[in-house]
Amino acid sequence: MTPPKKKILMVDDDPDYVEAVSSFLEANGYVVLKAHDGRDGLKLAKMEHPDLILMDVMMKERTEGFFTVQQMRRTAELEATPIFVLSSLYSQAPDFRIPPEAGWLAHDEFFSKPVNLMELLEKIRNCLAERAHEEARP
Amino acid sequence: MKILKLPKHRLDFFASVVQQFGEVHAPVEQDGKFVFRRLTRWSEARLDYPRTALPPKKYFLPPRETMFRYRENEGYVPSMDELNRRIILFGVHACDVYALNILDRVFSGEYDDPYYQTRRRNIAIIGIDCMPDDHCFCRSMRADFADHGFDLFLYGIGDYYQAMVGTALGDDMVLATGPLFEPMTQADVDEYKLRSSGKRRAFRMEVEIRDLPEIFEMEYQNETWKELGEKCLSCGSCSMVCPTCYCYDVADHVVLGARDGTRSRSWDSCLFSTHALVAGGENFRKDRSARIKFRYYHKQRGFVAQYGRPSCVGCGRCISACPVNIDISEVINQLRGVQDAVAK
Repeated sequence: MTPPKKKILMVDDDPDYVEAVSSFLEANGYVVLKAHDGRDGLKLAKMEHPDLILMDVMMKERTEGFFTVQQMRRTAELEATPIFVLSSLYSQAPDFRIPPEAGWLAHDEFFSKPVNLMELLEKIRNCLAERAHEEARP
Repeated sequence: MKILKLPKHRLDFFASVVQQFGEVHAPVEQDGKFVFRRLTRWSEARLDYPRTALPPKKYFLPPRETMFRYRENEGYVPSMDELNRRIILFGVHACDVYALNILDRVFSGEYDDPYYQTRRRNIAIIGIDCMPDDHCFCRSMRADFADHGFDLFLYGIGDYYQAMVGTALGDDMVLATGPLFEPMTQADVDEYKLRSSGKRRAFRMEVEIRDLPEIFEMEYQNETWKELGEKCLSCGSCSMVCPTCYCYDVADHVVLGARDGTRSRSWDSCLFSTHALVAGGENFRKDRSARIKFRYYHKQRGFVAQYGRPSCVGCGRCISACPVNIDISEVINQLRGVQDAVAK
């Protein structure tokens, strides 16, 4: 029996970008759920329990992604879900850097836009494979 | 005390970074009023608010809370889960910080309250300076400036917030944001002084509290109390919104027919007709005038004797909340024999 496809939630306010990335991921065997702001993203994540989340930072407001990530981190069923941040934050606010010790993003991947899709795919595959391996461990 | 400055346009980044220390709660607008609530996005925060409907007290002494449950064979099991939530209260005014410092004295020392104290440890305070409106008299109550009781305190001056670091946690927050904060210059110090004197001049309400306990002592039979009793509805709104009123009632909720239950406490008010009712049916403050007089005496005289200062911080909430427009500043000025005191 074919295993169920892994679900990825993509939260980004740019519909064209969502379309481009989700088409690529769907072509590579994933189901992609889409949300266009932090609130919808959080709602969808709570309902659908995705295997991985791709999160934009600067949406309707400049730090929306940060607040959404934090809310996900503090939601019991989502606290362990891997979150990859895809953002042009560093090109738009060059003197701001997420401090490396900042626990609220420390264990996630950060991709600066424009994102190399092959690299993103590889990281997603590795991350989900690692988690599957951990879950299978007795 | 370490003092730095933060460009105002970077405040959203700062708020994002401090999220690692806890859930960010701040004043948000709700039905034309302002309330402290957890933010879902930074733009909800309204740091220019005049005052919140309920003070931050609600986080430390919730309107209703279960203290513990008891069960046969288990004994007393304290309810500690909620107490360990780490929260950042962002945008607390100086008078409200001052009020918490007053509550600290009530809930520690002779009678330690572990519920209050655990919350006080787990809830960080980022204060923010404000300008007075028509109901503010915190300056008269010496509560317009907080020198402790916060982790960080922000003064909005020009394009910057000047940030006073109050605790090691506050310092950690500053350090975690990397290069967002900048050192102060002499020009910033001068601007702070200008802002401070501008704020001092902005107060339109003044209440003289010097020798007030003595005047209360002498005016115990003053007609003012009777008049107030006729006006007051004993609704308790002033106590509910007061940042330093801490009376609570304790009740057991026993499961019918079983040997378990919970013990909870909820806010009470000395204005309620049952507040001084004791077993046997005796009520020490049957009349409304006795109850409102008690409230004034406790806050302005009894507290001074016990803790060295009145428990009022001049936030003006009781004036805003009173359905029959009882105004504490008018009451005090009437007792002092000062007329037309509100219009300075």
